[in-house]
Amino acid sequence: MTDQLGALTTIFTEFYYWVTVVLMFLIHVGFCMYEVGASRYKHHQHTLMKNTMLIPLVTVTWFFFGWWIYWAFPTGPGIAPSIMTESTALITDDSTFSSKWYLANSEFMAINLGDHISGVFWAAFLLFSWTAASIVSGAIIERITTFAFGILAIAIGSVFWTIDAAWGWHFDGWMLKILGYHDAYASGVIHAIAGGFALGVLVVLGPRIGKFSSSGEPRNIGPRNPWLVTVGLFLIYTGFWGFYAACNIPIFDLGPEYGMEGVTYWTATNIYVTPTTLSGITFNFLMSLSGGLLAGYVIAKGDPFWTYSSGLAGVICASAGNDLYHPIQAMIIGMIGVVIAYKLHYWVERKFKIDDAVGAVAVHGYAGFVGLVICGFVLNGYPSSGYSVGAMWDGSTYASINPLGQFLGAIIMFGVLGMLPGYIIAKVLSGMGKLRIPREVEIAGLDYEMMETAKEDEKAVSSATR
Amino acid sequence: MATVTNWIDHLSAEEVVGAVYPGAGSSETLLVILGIVIWIGWHVITNNSESNELSRLARKKHGANDHKSNITDW
Repeated sequence: MTDQLGALTTIFTEFYYWVTVVLMFLIHVGFCMYEVGASRYKHHQHTLMKNTMLIPLVTVTWFFFGWWIYWAFPTGPGIAPSIMTESTALITDDSTFSSKWYLANSEFMAINLGDHISGVFWAAFLLFSWTAASIVSGAIIERITTFAFGILAIAIGSVFWTIDAAWGWHFDGWMLKILGYHDAYASGVIHAIAGGFALGVLVVLGPRIGKFSSSGEPRNIGPRNPWLVTVGLFLIYTGFWGFYAACNIPIFDLGPEYGMEGVTYWTATNIYVTPTTLSGITFNFLMSLSGGLLAGYVIAKGDPFWTYSSGLAGVICASAGNDLYHPIQAMIIGMIGVVIAYKLHYWVERKFKIDDAVGAVAVHGYAGFVGLVICGFVLNGYPSSGYSVGAMWDGSTYASINPLGQFLGAIIMFGVLGMLPGYIIAKVLSGMGKLRIPREVEIAGLDYEMMETAKEDEKAVSSATR
Repeated sequence: MATVTNWIDHLSAEEVVGAVYPGAGSSETLLVILGIVIWIGWHVITNNSESNELSRLARKKHGANDHKSNITDW
């Protein structure tokens, strides 16, 4: 970096993403609090540690291969040709944006004075990966082994969500080109896929003992500490601010990018390099959060667990198009998503005996799915990405946003890359006898031995005289 | 092992080399292999430990409310 303006832009961008990563860490703090609050006393410690250990497991695998997948898989492979290589193969050549530079043994995957962006961008995506895995974690508490969850967390966090990001977020993604897929703040790319994956696992894992009566009627196993759950959800909201900022490019000159001769147009853009503003998405974040809270309070009759979760579901539902919606559109879309997700949750629970302990499939999966579909109608005809208007890229290869493309995109996210892999991997783990904890342990409580030891220590200490 | 021993020489070179970590250009693949061994090893160790813990606890057949007698006051 030798000129001052270039240095300022680069270092501002580096710092911007770094701040979003720190903010997004709060999402995980929130998820940990939320799960502990939702679990019963005798399972607390194992529940917390299960969620905590996804941090290192997803991080190291994201370093080893997850980030590489994002850059290698945009063409499918085999579905749509790359605008860089004109090939449908994996992108592993010497081009600027090739996955080659993101292999774990690349010199750019380390401190490199010539690269100020890779690490913070890698980390921003990594925090998305933790979120995807953590969404699954909540649904399956109190009966899954830590080993099985670790494998599932790596699968969703470092493999399947990164494939969907390559397909539906990457500038060369085939879903942008063929379907006109648009998902600015990840209704589908994070939430629908993680919700679908959780549902696939739940089908195999089965309900907690006692969740359903002998006649099949569901029983409520409410959160042991609803106040810890609500604080956790507040923290998730807070981290979600960082997530929104992380999905943007903070400063970008669209003039040369779009091939507009002599035009300079500096702006923030979404991940698809179409213009938006932090100011505008702040309107929409808060209005969709409010829409979700308003609808959740009514439909759940003031139940705090569902009301807070509905705030999150409101944002998730509007996220696909929150780069362009009017704030009142965002609010209404958030409300619609909450009503559908809430109703579907209880219908699926009764009909298929699915025990989703925290409503994760509903809040993330159903709300995300619905949000993608609504986006297809409300933003019908908008360019799905900036690459469809640029001279730098082949403008003819990107479809506009449309209802069918968004619907198919929702099915791919929720079903093809979410539910199906979740089901298959859970089946394999179950076949190995590694998926579910023994029935006797579930009844006694995962923390039984730890609690027993603590009690013995307490007795010994209280009777001690020196 | 040191990639940089003099920052002035390093930064005033005609072409500044970006990678400055120890062993740059020669150790990366070995480090990745080591990292993967540690990662897989962690799964093996924790899986064995968890299986033993779960089997031991399952054999004791505690009731659903037995844990309440273990709740500490501190």
